[in-house]
Amino acid sequence: MTNVESQYVLLESRDLLVGYSFALETMKIPFDFSLASGTVVALMGENGCGKSSLLKTFAGLLKPVAGEVSLEGKSLTEWAPRERAQEISLVRMSSAVPPRMSVSEFVRLGRSPYSGIFDSRTDEDNRIVDESMALLDVANFANRPIAELSDGERSRVFLAEAVAQQVKILLLDEPNAFLDIPRSHALFRLLKKIALERKMGVVVSTHSVEYAERYCDRIMVVSGGAVRVAAAPDARKAGLLDWTETFE
Amino acid sequence: MRRLLIGFIALGVLIVLLCVATLCFGAVSIPFASVVQALFSPGADVSSNILWNLRIPRMIAAVLAGASLAVSGLSLQTVFRNPLAGPFVLGISSGASLGVALALLAGIGFGSVGVLGSAALGALLVTLVVMFAATRFAQTGVLLIVGLLTGYFIDSIVSVLIAGNSSESLRVYVAWGMGSFGRVTLGDVWMFVFAVVVGMALIGVSLRYLNAALLGDDFAHGLGLNVKRSKICVLLGASLLAGATTAFCGPVAFIGIAVPHLAYLLFKTTNHRVLLPGAALCGMALALLGGLFPASVPLNAVLSLVGVPVIMWVLVRGSGARF
Repeated sequence: MTNVESQYVLLESRDLLVGYSFALETMKIPFDFSLASGTVVALMGENGCGKSSLLKTFAGLLKPVAGEVSLEGKSLTEWAPRERAQEISLVRMSSAVPPRMSVSEFVRLGRSPYSGIFDSRTDEDNRIVDESMALLDVANFANRPIAELSDGERSRVFLAEAVAQQVKILLLDEPNAFLDIPRSHALFRLLKKIALERKMGVVVSTHSVEYAERYCDRIMVVSGGAVRVAAAPDARKAGLLDWTETFE
Repeated sequence: MRRLLIGFIALGVLIVLLCVATLCFGAVSIPFASVVQALFSPGADVSSNILWNLRIPRMIAAVLAGASLAVSGLSLQTVFRNPLAGPFVLGISSGASLGVALALLAGIGFGSVGVLGSAALGALLVTLVVMFAATRFAQTGVLLIVGLLTGYFIDSIVSVLIAGNSSESLRVYVAWGMGSFGRVTLGDVWMFVFAVVVGMALIGVSLRYLNAALLGDDFAHGLGLNVKRSKICVLLGASLLAGATTAFCGPVAFIGIAVPHLAYLLFKTTNHRVLLPGAALCGMALALLGGLFPASVPLNAVLSLVGVPVIMWVLVRGSGARF
């Protein structure tokens, strides 16, 4: 398990309410949350409960309806967009990919928050891109168009881009939605591994209780307008997963 | 890397050759020696006159128009994430046509402004409409529709103006509509240069956005880019390039939509650091090639006649057996 002593808080939310406006808000009870380095948090809840909005808010791409999110002690709204992009990446596997872009070109975009006005890449950038592609095992098809890849390969490419971005916080929106069972296991193992090795904090939304309990450190559930968090082994006992078995 | 180097060198050589050809060939045949002499020590003779008043302006116009339309088309295709986008879909060319139609057909007294100025005014007007839409609607799809509708609306106004007209002014308007590199004079070419430099600069400073925009605005936003500002920069730049070209050369349709694809097939990259200069060079080459044909043949017809086979050939060659 995680070495608790070396953990530190990356992302913290206080009295947070998430949604697109007061009128349309899906969450009713403000919540506190903190994301520690080296941990993977599963984000669960029914469709439309606000998981994606929550991730977008954590990424600083959506303003909170109330409360605030702070990154390394500073409110997200005070971060310059480019510096924020060096800390947080929200990975959406469903993003439409341009038909002509190759894997390596896409992973190179991860260095965009570090580049100058003419978007050039230094040797250092290229080294980091190569390293990220090697880590996610996509280097052997670096020159193929992303559009031609299988879903499993593509999800690894999206992760490689976020790794190249050298972020500390990785937010993933249903990364295993299109993956088969062995590839989903591999993906969650990989998330755990990079979280530990790179001292990253990972929040991953998923519909699979099995992966959440087995690979994640904590489980966060959005249900009935409230957000609750518990350590993965205690979530079931605490009743956090009750909603998964009732439908009326 | 090798592909890029060879590509850029080959295009550079091709453009130089086409420039030389543009200076050497024309309606009046001038011996090569006289061309060289007129170029380096211009006198009061016929050769110098033709060279400096006709062929050099035409060459500059072709180079500027080709580069402008290609860069404008490429950036619009990227921002709209649509391979069919181009300066025409934003209605910019239609705006310029309206300006010219009002000046020539309706006789609305722009007076000193002239055909050129009214074309520029028309293009600017449509650009403002599109920019307004761009600030109101985040979705690029809506923007595309606004551009197309504006274009249709303006084309209808032009049709009505044409219907109520006859004779000389109509003939001039139709001639303008066919496009030509021969209307620019050395006296006003600096305005064209200025517009192109500003337009290219606006697009150049948005390079980071263009590369990320291929994956959508959400993605670009996530990379820490100021999407709204960058998008406005690109649209303004693209409009300026297309508007200036249309004002000076008439509506030239083909280059903006086709050349970006040609550039991709040559350079095999989606990186705009390569693609933008690549497309600019391809556009120059195609425009110069089109400009070599006799002035009596409409430029738009020539560009399509020359360009379509070239691009078809590259498409078929470049894709191998994939399709």
